[in-house]
Amino acid sequence: MSPAVINEAPPSEKKLSLYEASTQCRNWRYSTERLAQIRATLNEAAVTIIRTKIETDEPGSSRNVSFLTPNEEVLLVKLYISKIGQLCGYFRFPEEVEATAITYMKRFYLQNTVMDWHPKNVMLTALFLATKTTNNPISLEQYTTHIPKTTPNDVLDLEFLIAQSLGFEFAVWHAHRALWGIWLDIQNLPDGAALASAEYDAALARVRASRLTDAELIYTPSQIALAAFSLVAPDSAARWITLKNLSESATLLAVLDEIKSMIAHQGLPPDVESVREVDRRLKLCKNPEKVVGSKAYLARKKEEERIAEEKRTKKAELQKAAVNDEQDPFGTNLAPKKGLVDYDDDDDDD
Amino acid sequence: MSLRPGVGGWLQGKTVRKGGGLSTSNTRSSTPQGVQSTSSTIFGGGVKDASGRTSEYFVRRRHSMDDQCPVCKSDRYLNPKLRLLVSSCYHKMCESCIDRLFTLGPAPCPICSKILRKLAFTPQTFEDLSVEKEVAVRRRIAKEFNKRRDDFPDLRAYNDYLEEVEDITFNLINEVDMPQTEARIAAYRAENAALIELNIQREEAYAQTLREQEDAEKRDREQRATQLRREEEEEREEREKDKREIIDKLETSDKNAAKLIAKSRANALKRTSARVASTTTVVHSNARLLRTRAAKDIPDVPHVPFKDNYYGYEDLYQLRPAGYEDFFSEAVRKDREGIMRAGGYRIEEAWDRALRDAVADLDLPPLMGLAPKTTSTMDSSGDVIMAEA
Amino acid sequence: MDAVEKANTERQRRWVKDKKVGEGTYAVVYQGREASTGRKVAIKKIKVGQFKDGLDMSAIREVKFLRELKHQNVIELLDVFSSKTNLNLVLEFLDSDLEMIIKDRALVFLPADIKSWMAMTFRGLEFCHRNHVLHRDLKPNNLLIASNGELKIADFGLARDFADPGYKMTCQVITRWYRPPELLFGSRYYSSAVDIWSVGCIFAELMLRIPYLPGESDMDQLKTIFRALGTPTEEEWPGHTKLPDYVPVGQFQKFPMRDLFTAASADTLNLLSKCMIYEPRKRISAREALTHPYFFALPNPTFPSKLPKCSTHFSARPLDEVDGNVQMNSTGPGVKARSLKRKLTSSDDGSEGRNRSIARRLDFSKHTPGS
Repeated sequence: MSPAVINEAPPSEKKLSLYEASTQCRNWRYSTERLAQIRATLNEAAVTIIRTKIETDEPGSSRNVSFLTPNEEVLLVKLYISKIGQLCGYFRFPEEVEATAITYMKRFYLQNTVMDWHPKNVMLTALFLATKTTNNPISLEQYTTHIPKTTPNDVLDLEFLIAQSLGFEFAVWHAHRALWGIWLDIQNLPDGAALASAEYDAALARVRASRLTDAELIYTPSQIALAAFSLVAPDSAARWITLKNLSESATLLAVLDEIKSMIAHQGLPPDVESVREVDRRLKLCKNPEKVVGSKAYLARKKEEERIAEEKRTKKAELQKAAVNDEQDPFGTNLAPKKGLVDYDDDDDDD
Repeated sequence: MSLRPGVGGWLQGKTVRKGGGLSTSNTRSSTPQGVQSTSSTIFGGGVKDASGRTSEYFVRRRHSMDDQCPVCKSDRYLNPKLRLLVSSCYHKMCESCIDRLFTLGPAPCPICSKILRKLAFTPQTFEDLSVEKEVAVRRRIAKEFNKRRDDFPDLRAYNDYLEEVEDITFNLINEVDMPQTEARIAAYRAENAALIELNIQREEAYAQTLREQEDAEKRDREQRATQLRREEEEEREEREKDKREIIDKLETSDKNAAKLIAKSRANALKRTSARVASTTTVVHSNARLLRTRAAKDIPDVPHVPFKDNYYGYEDLYQLRPAGYEDFFSEAVRKDREGIMRAGGYRIEEAWDRALRDAVADLDLPPLMGLAPKTTSTMDSSGDVIMAEA
Repeated sequence: MDAVEKANTERQRRWVKDKKVGEGTYAVVYQGREASTGRKVAIKKIKVGQFKDGLDMSAIREVKFLRELKHQNVIELLDVFSSKTNLNLVLEFLDSDLEMIIKDRALVFLPADIKSWMAMTFRGLEFCHRNHVLHRDLKPNNLLIASNGELKIADFGLARDFADPGYKMTCQVITRWYRPPELLFGSRYYSSAVDIWSVGCIFAELMLRIPYLPGESDMDQLKTIFRALGTPTEEEWPGHTKLPDYVPVGQFQKFPMRDLFTAASADTLNLLSKCMIYEPRKRISAREALTHPYFFALPNPTFPSKLPKCSTHFSARPLDEVDGNVQMNSTGPGVKARSLKRKLTSSDDGSEGRNRSIARRLDFSKHTPGS
């Protein structure tokens, strides 16, 4: 018995597509201009703060420091992103882990600057986090044992920060899966041509190249996959587009061109020399507060400790007062409270 | 502001929900008309509920060592079977004292000197004697002051009536203005004789229906049990018969043995399904509940399979029933031992995801320029918005 | 970093914690409200930094999926905020769960009620499966009921995406009584059918008012299942004897379901039996279940607001992990933390009638309503 109405949702209300409902589409999608703006703003703000910190550390020294430009930051991040693939190969992590880790890193640096957090450990931690969120977990010890010069804390310390910067939005839609889907669907073309595996590999390589670019922050995974595919087998791609009734879509065709161009021009790992130069300068303009052992770092730690200590004594006093209250049957005036909850109270055991 | 009709109810012997006092929650199970056949009565002694069950107070309460007869001062230590009864003037005494004092006829109560008879003693219902007294007073009053809300033109009048009742009750309990109060009661009785009678009959009728319902349910249950037993018997006999028949047929006929057996099995199946179809499955209480539910305004609408607003690109792709050439899933499809199949892994689910991803928002235009991002067409409240740098 | 933290503090101020209502191994649950509207919420504070492998997997899973799945029949994650060492999930506040309702003997279930709950469960589950998410911990305890009667699937601490072909998944999932036989036999490759089996068990439990297949150990669970549904043959379930942990459990005969579910209609039993088919590939899917004749037959499913509601509410008590729960051993970081079940107090709207004493001194000095 088939019913007349399958779905009750009012037909007038626009349906929400699954991708558009995802956090990826809602929160991690930008225009090229916006990306530039974000990076510039982050960079500027960081420079200001760091300059001040350096000044307090050693007055007058900041004049000589050459801070990184936003583009240099991007370059450095790109270098470390390209290392993720190597690590994944070594650990034999699935493609999903690699893709997810790269996405996490990119997103992280839309919230933070390289001068605060060096990409090396961020990269290691993002990868570790990605193994967890994609259900391919590895024990921390196993992980760090196989990475030279890395202690578990190097990774642990950053994990929460990265998760926080991601807004705890861990689910990522990937282009490589979309590519697989195209490859399957191609078999539905009238003359059912299946792709040879060599062609598939080539397309996948293009997808991997796209990971070094900003493509995933601007376009949908399906678009990226189709662009990659189109680079390798343009005829099949065109026929597939027709099959999907999208051959008239100017949007799609324009997008595909843009992505292809991006892959071609930005899809290569950066030149090692230029990056080395950036890395060298980074050592000098890093935020001292974040550098373990520096004066500013220690000062900050002392400040934090002081605040924590204050809180502890205040709490102890309140508790004592409460105990006294109990003995006095009429109680005393309530200790003035800031509000129902002490927002900084999170670090307590309760 | 009126007393809720249930409040007096327990005194009049309506059943109470297990677990304590009446609640006014809107769960169906607490409507006063609902029959709770498993109520644990909290009455005892002389107080009965609608079905006539009683339980005595002291059975529920553990025998305390502190109990002591005020007259002879004996306690449970000396007399383990100590049983304290209550007089009509609400004084406690142990059975032996009662025997001693009243066997020869009416005598004054040792505590208050009121003349009592032996029969005037009843077992205690409530721990607190003042409660006992109050309960008795209320019972008496309730017998005559039994008007309902419907009997009054408006709420105000009803409340006035209730206040009058409470006033009288209070007086009786505390023995204040006794003669005037009794006069008031008599006056009320005279005035409202007809209505009192009517209400008494109404309540009796109600109690009667309760009893009938219980009986009906009991009969139902028994009937079902016997029916089930009967069916089992029948089945067993049939199975026996089948077995015998098969043996016979195999002996005599020359038809294929397997066919014979299959035929007889098919017949058996037919019989069981026929029997099943004829079993009535609706329980009486279901019907009653349905009636009370139907009384509410909200109808039960027919089932709608999907109620969400999501678009899953179903029109843009289709999983090919014949499957695909796919080196990712070679291992799965070649699953020689059938482990993946036995476990239930469905490659189709993985394919579906990939196919969907391939067409998901394929023609979504990218964002342009620096215009502030509008929150998408997400319709749920509490949208999570990431702080953007 | 500071910008991120600052943004977080902003969001933190949006929610106010009122009182603690539960505590588990890795999280504390508070009842709270939205500062601006007063809307009631549950705030789950997850302690971070407890485990040697960093962020707890269960926490990650919960956040990951709740962030993405927004549906009428899935619990809603309203917000996430964090401080240095704590992750706070703000969830919608739900009074009770299906387990409480089943156990409340004072409530009577109509067939229409069961139909309504099953429809909502299937809808929520179908949505999860549509998004390629396996829940892997369905049980009455994790089906929460809102005040308007809507049922919501909760506790995604064991959920995961469908695995890519060839990738193994752990079989130590789902609470034992609701675990399908393929998992009990140690299968590492399975599908959404595992959730359907759980739903079938819940369906049966709604009718019986006691758990359908309560086993006392994994072995005993298998026996219980086979005793109830008959030992599967190779035909019925090809290949099952080759599963990693297969052991013969005993030969039990198949009995018709009607024997146990005497009051159920033919449609009901048909759907139930389709949920409990041994071969996972043949088991009905959530999508198919929603168009099964059972739902279209009379009586119509009860409108949610009319469904029986639990009369008792639990006050804060330690969150328990009993009843055949299993220790989750995900293959990597040895995370054993179980997700919480939230038992929330009844609200201030009161326990009318429950605390009223039987007899009271009457006071006529003022106009009290007398109650």
